[in-house]
Amino acid sequence: MSGLRFALMQVPRLRVDMRGVTPSACEGLTLPEIERRQVTQGNESMPLAEWFQIDRTDDDAWVFEADLGRFDRVGWQMCSGRIVVQGSVGDYAGGCMSGGELRVMGAAGALAACEMSGGRLTIEGSVGDFAAGSLPGSIDGMRGGVLVVKGHAGARFGDRMRRGSALVFGDAGDFLASRMVAGTVAVGGAAGAHAGFAMRRGSVVFAGPAPVVASTFVPALVEAGVIWQLLARDLAGHGGPFAQLAKRRPVRHLGDLAADGKGELIVTR
Amino acid sequence: MSGALQRNGVVIDDTFAEAFPMKATRIVVTAHNLHWARHAAVAATGFATSVIGCGCEAGIEREWSADETPDGRPGFALLLFSVSGKELAKQIEKRVGQCVLTCPTTAVFAGIAEGEAVALGKNLRFFGDGWQLSKVIAGVRYWRVPVMDGEFVAQETTAVVKAVGGGNLLMLARDTESALRAAEAAVDAMKALPNVILPFPGGVVRSGSKVGSKYAALSASTNEAFCPGLYGLVGKSEITPETRCVLEIVIDGLTEADVAAAMRAGMLACIAIGPAGGLLRLSAGNYGGKLGPYHFHLHRLLGGAATA
Repeated sequence: MSGLRFALMQVPRLRVDMRGVTPSACEGLTLPEIERRQVTQGNESMPLAEWFQIDRTDDDAWVFEADLGRFDRVGWQMCSGRIVVQGSVGDYAGGCMSGGELRVMGAAGALAACEMSGGRLTIEGSVGDFAAGSLPGSIDGMRGGVLVVKGHAGARFGDRMRRGSALVFGDAGDFLASRMVAGTVAVGGAAGAHAGFAMRRGSVVFAGPAPVVASTFVPALVEAGVIWQLLARDLAGHGGPFAQLAKRRPVRHLGDLAADGKGELIVTR
Repeated sequence: MSGALQRNGVVIDDTFAEAFPMKATRIVVTAHNLHWARHAAVAATGFATSVIGCGCEAGIEREWSADETPDGRPGFALLLFSVSGKELAKQIEKRVGQCVLTCPTTAVFAGIAEGEAVALGKNLRFFGDGWQLSKVIAGVRYWRVPVMDGEFVAQETTAVVKAVGGGNLLMLARDTESALRAAEAAVDAMKALPNVILPFPGGVVRSGSKVGSKYAALSASTNEAFCPGLYGLVGKSEITPETRCVLEIVIDGLTEADVAAAMRAGMLACIAIGPAGGLLRLSAGNYGGKLGPYHFHLHRLLGGAATA
């Protein structure tokens, strides 16, 4: 399928739900059919063409030449293809995505990559709260794939995360990786209070300043150099504050003993 | 024994080595330093000369520098071959469990990416008694098993691929000294190549065998046709009176081309020694071509016509 260019014709007064607007969901559709694809605004449905001028391109990607700050669920349940947003996006960006690539050149709202299970989501700006977390009422948060946030992250980043890698180049808010079940969270900047709160398993890597470690974590007597090299080399591939990670020495704290206690906070020196 | 091909005065028999399909895997064992990696590698590939009695044939393929291994520590690549994927899986688990997991500072990784996945650390993790941890990095699952020197890290699975086992080369020499010299030269040349192992002690076997025995319980027995001590006694000896010692090299490789390349390298090393060094003939073992689908014709491996 050839690519598409979406030019925003008007900024919606209410928020628009973009679920069902992905390369995989529209596979095999003609351009007029895609233009007639229904999106919801409040309790109304309206065609995609109400908001966007859509054109075919030679590229294989869907490119939104707009700021989609008032559009939620961009890339929702995406499972293949590539979407590029040349601006910001609303809430739930890349939520439940299982494959493909979503790249946001601006910022994202709350719950980005929530319950993501595969693919890659890159946000050049910052994200709101509960990124890589779970939908309200769900047991598991992010469960696969890679989330890279080049800016800062809000609170509860990686809440209930179970698998995959979630990276923040900048600072992370309070309750980083709270209730984490497994997976990898890496932070390039500073982390807020209560990092690893009630985490059961998983690894949280701090490439920046060391966080305040709760008393429910115990210092590890073993460096675990083998797994550290495997992990650090993988994270180094993302560049930025993680580029030199494999050359640094890990200091681990194990916990949260208030939960299962098999997680690790890895401070690097 | 017929055919007139000679190279540097060494007679090359017009015969072929007959090899068989096997299943194989490569695992990479690393450790804090090469000393401990070698201990683990040697132990894991010990008692693995022949599938007849060992369950698998295994050997050290080569040393891997710290730059090549997944964890940045020195290590060794091991190749293990067996007659079936099921038996190979059993051998991997036993050997890694008893010889690598137990060895200080080691870790183990798959050395082949594509193929049927069999357990590497998948079952060994239970040694952790509930304290083991899984870690998925770049889509690959590793197991972290707590042990007294820290933790044992093992990739969950390794890939099993189709392979070729039983390539061989027979060196017929004037005396023991000459036969050993030729065999050692051939082993050195073959070991320089990738994707092959020589599973016998030092790469060399003196007890070349034939299929079957006069004793019903034995599946293999001595190849009397190549035993100098039986010259004149057996009905159909394959040696001449000048031959007083015969040694064999068995080659297992990941592909037919790998075995062929190793055999050719070994033959060239032997030919360079020549009759001046006591090497008289090169031959190979086969079963008439009826059992194994891979036939390595010595003349073809040398690519050609007879020269004096």
